[in-house]
Amino acid sequence: MRVNVGKTTHFRVLSKDQIEKILGATLEILERVGVMVSDEEALKLLEDGGARVEGQSLVRIPSGMVQRALQTAPHRIVLAQREGRRNLVLEKNRIYFGTGSDCPNVIDPYTDERRPCLFDDVLRAATVTDALEHVDFLMSLGLVSDVPRLTYDRHQFLAMAMGTKKPLIITCVDRNGLSDQYEMACLIVGGEKRFQENPYFALYAEPSSPLTHSKEALEKLTFAAERGIPVVYTPCPSGGATAPVTMAGILAQGLAETLSGLVISQLKSQGAPFIMGGVHTIMDMRTSIFCYGAPELSLLSACMTDISKELELPVFSTAGCGDAKVLDEQAAAEASVSLLTAGLSGANLIHDVGYLESGLLGSLDMLVLSDEVISMVKRILRGIRVDEETLALDVIANVGPGGHFIGEEHTRRHLKEEHWLPKLMDRTNREIWEKGGAKTLDRRVRERVKAILEGHEPDPLDERLLGELKTIVALADERYGEK
Amino acid sequence: MSTVVERISQEIISGNVEESVKAVEEALQHEIPPHEILDNGLMAAMERVGSLFQEGEIFIPDVFFSAKAMHGSMDILRPLLAPSKLMQMGTAVIGTVLGDIHDIGKRLVAMMLEGAGFTVIDLGVEVSPEAFVRAVEVHQPHIVAMSTLLTTTMPNMGASVEALLKAGMRDRVKVLIGGAPVTRAFAEEIGADGYGSNALTGVEEAKALFESLKGEAGGIR
Repeated sequence: MRVNVGKTTHFRVLSKDQIEKILGATLEILERVGVMVSDEEALKLLEDGGARVEGQSLVRIPSGMVQRALQTAPHRIVLAQREGRRNLVLEKNRIYFGTGSDCPNVIDPYTDERRPCLFDDVLRAATVTDALEHVDFLMSLGLVSDVPRLTYDRHQFLAMAMGTKKPLIITCVDRNGLSDQYEMACLIVGGEKRFQENPYFALYAEPSSPLTHSKEALEKLTFAAERGIPVVYTPCPSGGATAPVTMAGILAQGLAETLSGLVISQLKSQGAPFIMGGVHTIMDMRTSIFCYGAPELSLLSACMTDISKELELPVFSTAGCGDAKVLDEQAAAEASVSLLTAGLSGANLIHDVGYLESGLLGSLDMLVLSDEVISMVKRILRGIRVDEETLALDVIANVGPGGHFIGEEHTRRHLKEEHWLPKLMDRTNREIWEKGGAKTLDRRVRERVKAILEGHEPDPLDERLLGELKTIVALADERYGEK
Repeated sequence: MSTVVERISQEIISGNVEESVKAVEEALQHEIPPHEILDNGLMAAMERVGSLFQEGEIFIPDVFFSAKAMHGSMDILRPLLAPSKLMQMGTAVIGTVLGDIHDIGKRLVAMMLEGAGFTVIDLGVEVSPEAFVRAVEVHQPHIVAMSTLLTTTMPNMGASVEALLKAGMRDRVKVLIGGAPVTRAFAEEIGADGYGSNALTGVEEAKALFESLKGEAGGIR
């Protein structure tokens, strides 16, 4: 079930006037301060496009270039499933949820041990994602560590494609890693043309705050632009550390990082699909962590979503994540606040569902709990239908004072669309709850995780295709993988 | 007279760079011995800053300004201190390893190391194994601190340790590593001496490593 556009409940944080001020500051940053661009090709593109290059790599970008890029970038992007079904339509207020990627650790659902993420853990994350109704796309959740470090990305892609047919957002070591995964994806969908028609994955790449584009990020960005691979180009500024402490300042700077990436992508290939957004949050000034459970993360994500609607660019947002170490009350609170806020904001791709420990732990527990919370959020977003039928005047008259509604046909007819039905939230009375083992939410969540892992069978990849994919991975290991 | 030293301490704790420098100059005019200014003014202040931070009374930016004030005061004192006194303070080179341009975590550690009395040479980002070796040659540090945020560049920490070993410098320095994906197990795997799970524990580890180096045969150069 997808939340519908138009009749949903949503909110906005920024006024039109505030958005204009932030955008103005962003353009001023690009013209006056500039960005570091550490890649020859990107530098040349920018210089030829009218930017002023100073020294080795400092680039100042005139506003006109940004405006042109905004005109050529597509306003909508569609991501497709493995077999080509176009089911993520990134348009204004169409929301989709998905995992985050590359957490170094997992909690083993069977031993409860926290340990490095293995290939099979990403396969598990994919399987759970495949089974969950409200998780629409997959990022790896974990970083595969039982394979060569410099080719981990190909292995990770394989695990993801094996475990689910839902659309993917991938990460890569470098341009070669992207190239290999693109080749693998093209094999799966039946060629490059098919991929371009129905992109099976989007690429995740990051500029480095403040205002720096690394060579690796730019190589990925231009490779993707050339081939029509949608790019999520997402800065991760932390307020007070790699960006100003003020919310408006973080937004202006983060947007400058994003939009300078947009300019490069459009210079490389006009119309290249580009998704803005990012993880804008604070650095906790006691622990120095990049905060995933901060209310500011949700606030800033909602602001970026407001801005994306103004710019008419699809947006990548963040929720369902936290700084808790396990699925405890903190985790549940962090998931709930962030998922509701992101849902209400109307962001397109809401990622990092399942992140715990500030991004160091990919948690299947958090993912499964979040699925339930998302389901609640969607009920709120669906709003209410007000018409003759739902006002139920005749029914009220028929029942009259002192009667009841249980026996009304009207009740049966509307029950399922009006009442949200829990899967994990417990509504039994105490006696029944105690008889059932007095299971708290974390235990019920873990049981569900195990039930999915043991019971859910994702559509398998064709055997021959799987063999071909494994050959590409093995070749990469041979060529680039250190032992 | 001791009130001047107290004022130095106070200004450093408050993070007033100019005021603390002025107070140090004043103390010197009063002919208070430099080592006394260092111990009772600067070091005492930074110790207090450390505990205030740990108690959650002050925050990272406050520590930053205190470290800056400490640094400014130290610049005046350093030429006046006896070599034996200077020997008691550590030197550290620090950098983000090759392939990684993430700066902030490393800078935090550098700042806190300075606050703890270390002389810090920040080599910046994308520091190659050879650059670490050269820095050890030039600066003769006690601590070599390496940072990375990326799992893909973690092997370059190992390569840097290897390079120090090959250059015959490994036993002259203590290697300290840190960064979000780094673990103590990884530190052991690559033969580093210490690991910090955050800036604060990193600095504690650096202090302990420096003390252990002092205690080792041959001691401090």
